[in-house]
Amino acid sequence: MISLTGLNLILPQLIIALAAIIVMLSIAVKRCHRFTNLFTLLSFAAAAISVLYIPRGSFGVSSLFVVDGFGKFFTVLIACAGFVITLMSYHYLNAREKRNEEYYILLLLSSLGALTMVISNHFVSFFLSLEVLSVSLYALIGYLKEEPAGIESGIKYLVLAAVSSSFLLFGIALIYMQTGHLDLSGIAAGLSSSGEFSGVFIAGLAMVIVGIGFKMALVPFHLWTPDIYAGASAPVSAFVATVSKGAVFAFLLRLFYSTGGLENKNVWTVFTIIAVASMLFGNWLALRQQNIKRLLAYSSIGHLGYLMVAFLAITDRGMQAATFYLVVYFTGMLAAFGTVIYMSNKKGEALYIDDYRGLFWKKPWLAAIFTTVMLSLAGIPLTAGFLGKLYLLTAGTEVGIWLLVIVLVVSSGIGLFYYLRVVAVMFAGKNENEASSEPVIGKIFPHGLVLTLLFLLLLWFGVYPSSLLEIIQQIASVIR
Amino acid sequence: MPVNYYIFLSLALFAIGIVGVLIRRNAITFFMCIEIMLNAVNLLLVAFSKMHHAKQAATLATAGIDGQIFVFFIMVVAAAEVSVGLAIIVMLFRNVHSVNVNFLNRLKH
Amino acid sequence: MSITLILFWFLSVLALFSAAMVVASKNPVYSVLWLILVFFAISGHYLLLNAQFLAIVNIIVYAGAIMVLFLFVIMLMNLNKSNEPKRNKWLNLAGVLAGGCLLLVLVAALKNAETKATLAETGTGNIGLIENLGKALFTDYVVPFEISSVLFLSAMVGAVVLGKKESSPDTAGQSGKSSEK
Repeated sequence: MISLTGLNLILPQLIIALAAIIVMLSIAVKRCHRFTNLFTLLSFAAAAISVLYIPRGSFGVSSLFVVDGFGKFFTVLIACAGFVITLMSYHYLNAREKRNEEYYILLLLSSLGALTMVISNHFVSFFLSLEVLSVSLYALIGYLKEEPAGIESGIKYLVLAAVSSSFLLFGIALIYMQTGHLDLSGIAAGLSSSGEFSGVFIAGLAMVIVGIGFKMALVPFHLWTPDIYAGASAPVSAFVATVSKGAVFAFLLRLFYSTGGLENKNVWTVFTIIAVASMLFGNWLALRQQNIKRLLAYSSIGHLGYLMVAFLAITDRGMQAATFYLVVYFTGMLAAFGTVIYMSNKKGEALYIDDYRGLFWKKPWLAAIFTTVMLSLAGIPLTAGFLGKLYLLTAGTEVGIWLLVIVLVVSSGIGLFYYLRVVAVMFAGKNENEASSEPVIGKIFPHGLVLTLLFLLLLWFGVYPSSLLEIIQQIASVIR
Repeated sequence: MPVNYYIFLSLALFAIGIVGVLIRRNAITFFMCIEIMLNAVNLLLVAFSKMHHAKQAATLATAGIDGQIFVFFIMVVAAAEVSVGLAIIVMLFRNVHSVNVNFLNRLKH
Repeated sequence: MSITLILFWFLSVLALFSAAMVVASKNPVYSVLWLILVFFAISGHYLLLNAQFLAIVNIIVYAGAIMVLFLFVIMLMNLNKSNEPKRNKWLNLAGVLAGGCLLLVLVAALKNAETKATLAETGTGNIGLIENLGKALFTDYVVPFEISSVLFLSAMVGAVVLGKKESSPDTAGQSGKSSEK
């Protein structure tokens, strides 16, 4: 039973839910894109700030949710990502779509799904959050009407997501059979009483991994990723790459750390195979891409693989490294998609690497930002990506999972090639024949400002990480 | 009723659903197969819920109720998913005048 | 053989046969009708397990609402004639084989479970009654219940956004309202 005092624990979620309803009602009164955008921005900001009003400590909300430091950290992260995406969407939608207020309702609801997922402590709440996140995403992916690929990628995502959630549910049912509980603490208790893992539990866990692996686009389940990234509009792709994956990763950490499911050798091996395959295939397939959104899609597969290394370390250090890397990944991906949005025009997005040819001579500042982003994603020193990878490596070497560590290093080496290829194209000679008649969407405000901010963040985390690490160290031990 | 029976019945239904997803190209039949899979899971959950109830009813009167609540939520989700899915199918039909998913291969390049 | 066992076998065979026919039918309308039969069979199973609320909800939501939606869409788009392209036989066979393999793997994984002696109680136990489910739903599960209302909101907005998308982009949305089909 939830009491009225318990409501302040889920304040960020309530704010976002309320905002979605207000936006919907405001559309019924009068359509005003500027107001809708500003209101959405304000509500994301309010959601992020409202976390400060949640008392410290770990509280359960009716055994289905748990509000702790970990959940609050991810709440802020998701709200900030939502803020940035909203900011970048305004001019993009103005240029490319006529009816665009509903976009914000869907964005808010989708973020709400992510926000409830990071505090979920129960399979029912996890599954419902997952579906709130996905159902809004189906519509978001097919949102642009001038993009014929949008609707097709929408249905592709829908069909695959539905199949993967049936697998997830079957797995949950098997886990339920073994333990008799659907909440994570109950599952942990049921497991520790039965001693060792039975075949039913392992089969259930394997099917849950299918469902979660699909959402995180880990390698055997990654086939949808490049098509969806290429078919959806750039802000939505940014959302899929950051918020949707980050929220599922947060639940993955909670699920396996609080139930101790990773202590089984078989489960651990399956995850190791998935991680190795994600790192290698993600980076290897990205090598051949000419389309920058597909390139980012494969690169994100690789990055999720890196995250799995820290996840598999099963230590506090690993958890901190994973959280730090996730923040860096969010910043880098948002900035990368932000640049794609900046360079797009009314006719279409700047999809191909050639569209960035000679960018340095036209827009040196943007080129510098994009270069830093690419270097950070590649993991070059002085950027946040380097430190993030360093933490992942130390977390891995500490517990001696050498296979994963070596694959991480090798695949980062492969990754260097395609990130540097993009950088090289930007510094190449001018591309005269293009002479695009359409002006780019990007404006100094807000795109330039946001990109500069993300760029500064990447450098800040790269040079002076302790500010972020201190916060992460406080929250990381809570979960175990 | 031995709970084994329910496990195998659900598995068979689930496998039929998967075969359907693999061999059919019609987007609407796709969704029907997914419904079959979800129903298999629902049946499994209800059977397990009754199993746990039979085991623990002496200590806790509402033991096993969470399984049935979960089934209720799965039904809710299925309804929501189908409504969006059918909207997308209608859009697809307006664009390409077919609901066959082979058209989706265009995305690859 | 008790009456429960006979009913169980009858409903199981009915469910499996109808499910197979859903996949095998060429005409989507037939598939829908077979699928409704699957739902009735599964509702019968729920009744055997004394989960009366779910049995009735299954009929109302699935057979009543979702299947009507399916039929509407099929008839709206005039799909009752099968226009599915000729499917490659070998691909079909591969699909069936893949499904069969999955089934085998799962059966192998689950057959050793110590469930041979475990029974799911049929006909007794009152957790499936609407009173008990309602109590749990509106106390412990009240927040997920609200989330499910948000889910419907997003499904509604999503369906409207997608459905309003007009086929002729130059005329649509000029004045904010688009003409109905």
